[in-house]
Amino acid sequence: MATQLVKCSRCKTIITIAGKPGDKLNLTCPQCNQKGIFTFPKEESIHPVSVPGNTETIEVHNLTKTYNDFTAVNNISFRVKKGEIFGFLGPNGAGKTTTIKAMLDLLHADNGTVHLNGIDVRKHGKEAKKHVGYLPEKVAFYDNLTALQNLEFYAEIKHVSKDECAPLINEFGLADAGKKRVGKFSKGMVQRLGMARAILGNPPILILDEPSGGLDPRGVVLIRDKILEMKKKGTTIFVSSHILSEIQEICDRVGIINKGILVAQDTVDGLRKKLSLKPQLTVTVDTLTSKIENAVKKIPGVDRVAAQHNTLEIVCDGAIKAKVILAITNAGGTIQNLQTKEPTLEEVFMRYTEG
Amino acid sequence: MQTNIVISIAKKEIMDNIRNKWIILVSVMFALLTLAVSYFGSLGSTGWQDLGNTISGMTQLASILISIVALMLGYAAIIGEIERGSMSALLSLATTRFEITIGKLLGLGAVLCLTIFIGFGVAGLVIGLNVPNVDFVEYLVFIGVTMVFGLVFLSVALFFSTVFSKRSTALGGAIFLWFLFNIILPIVLVGLLAMTIDFSSILVEETLVIPDWYHVLDLLNPISVYSNLIEMTVGPVQSSIDASLIENPSWYTPGRLLGVLFAWIIVFFVFAVWRFHQKDI
Repeated sequence: MATQLVKCSRCKTIITIAGKPGDKLNLTCPQCNQKGIFTFPKEESIHPVSVPGNTETIEVHNLTKTYNDFTAVNNISFRVKKGEIFGFLGPNGAGKTTTIKAMLDLLHADNGTVHLNGIDVRKHGKEAKKHVGYLPEKVAFYDNLTALQNLEFYAEIKHVSKDECAPLINEFGLADAGKKRVGKFSKGMVQRLGMARAILGNPPILILDEPSGGLDPRGVVLIRDKILEMKKKGTTIFVSSHILSEIQEICDRVGIINKGILVAQDTVDGLRKKLSLKPQLTVTVDTLTSKIENAVKKIPGVDRVAAQHNTLEIVCDGAIKAKVILAITNAGGTIQNLQTKEPTLEEVFMRYTEG
Repeated sequence: MQTNIVISIAKKEIMDNIRNKWIILVSVMFALLTLAVSYFGSLGSTGWQDLGNTISGMTQLASILISIVALMLGYAAIIGEIERGSMSALLSLATTRFEITIGKLLGLGAVLCLTIFIGFGVAGLVIGLNVPNVDFVEYLVFIGVTMVFGLVFLSVALFFSTVFSKRSTALGGAIFLWFLFNIILPIVLVGLLAMTIDFSSILVEETLVIPDWYHVLDLLNPISVYSNLIEMTVGPVQSSIDASLIENPSWYTPGRLLGVLFAWIIVFFVFAVWRFHQKDI
């Protein structure tokens, strides 16, 4: 049994109905008594692969896209769970946008499958895309139309009430520009409007390609907050970005693509562990002596020690931090300041994409 | 296919073209040219000509203008959106490439037809006010056939818009196409005719008896089909060759010629959908 929202053709009242695939229902609008017939789509028209308990909202399996002899995306597979934010990283030309476009069937993949909310995009693209909001890397609108007219057009296509458009424009700080032609918008304003278009109708899946592109710091914060707000609503978000600090801040897991190959996917912590990246201790002492420096260097698990004025920069296992402090104290040093810096996503990214 | 999506896309195309004042500019151009042809067009006559004479003088000019206007309207319909980036947003929604193509053909077709109707319509009314006993039905037939002719070139332009990967190349293609139908094809056909037949032996009672193969090949040029259709439905068309000298074959009927124009629209629309389906965005 499935439920469906239908809109009365006369008074536009939304009615919720239930039925089985292929069922034909005679309906009467409770508001205006308009009569009509609704036929539920047949089951064979959609092939969901999700089974109860399977929470993957995005499933990409062995996706490959080649251009003549160049393989832009090489046999990549990943899954994104419901309500998760998945960051997709890679250097320029690594295949991020190609992957996203293939996920939405904008590009014809040579091989592989993509399921969005359990629906095969390549076989049932129209049905699958009903669940997606997309922000392309190159955001564009119809320049002769106003922001409101543009959003209303997309609302019509998405079968979303046009009443949602004006408040959404306001939410993205474009209230004053709503009746202005998009052709006169700055790049940042177009980007904000692009994000508004993506979340129009609250789709369960958001695919965002460089959402912070062309935005000022205020715009970056606005978009980041909106992404987090959508996550709270249970939206699954797939985000590609160059701003690694931003990805580190908002993403539950990340995937790194390099030269078309998905070289890593995990949480940021998980990737750090896989690379055995160690934190850096910065210790400032009252007087730095060679005795202190040598005492630290002798501790097993210390990888690197660099001395500068009264400061020691020590790369070591997080677990031996106490031993380092003890060694410095035993060697006659008085610690004035101690800071621990975990390896950043940038370091992880650089390691995975080097060469 | 969801008709509401097709209608939304068509409506957007109309709105877009109304807001960029395209309709107004081209309508004014059509109206002024029609009035100019009616007032100044006939040699040896002064003042307003009736609508029949105006159509006769206008057909060749309309075929040149409408074809280029339709090509300009449609050449970037698909590739322009792909290049700009708005196509990926549109295709990321629950739309199909077929719905987008038909929505664009209907929307741009409506813009073109509206332009022709306003431009020629206003001119027709002005002429009608200045000339007695005007046959408006004949004039409406002319406008209707001109609209169908415009849709042929729009459909061809839409196909071109899916063939090329750059807007600038598509523009080049559209310009070449215009030259092909307006200049190259007629010259090639006349050349073939001159090479294969003896003109002195076919001049019978001041009428050129043209072999059937010429008329068959002439159907490949929508401009010729349009001129012949106007001639058969409205009256003689002024052209570089005196139309009254050429006798059309008996199998040339208005219905068939109209069918050929519709076939052009359908065939190139199908090609456009097919090519668009193959395209990576």
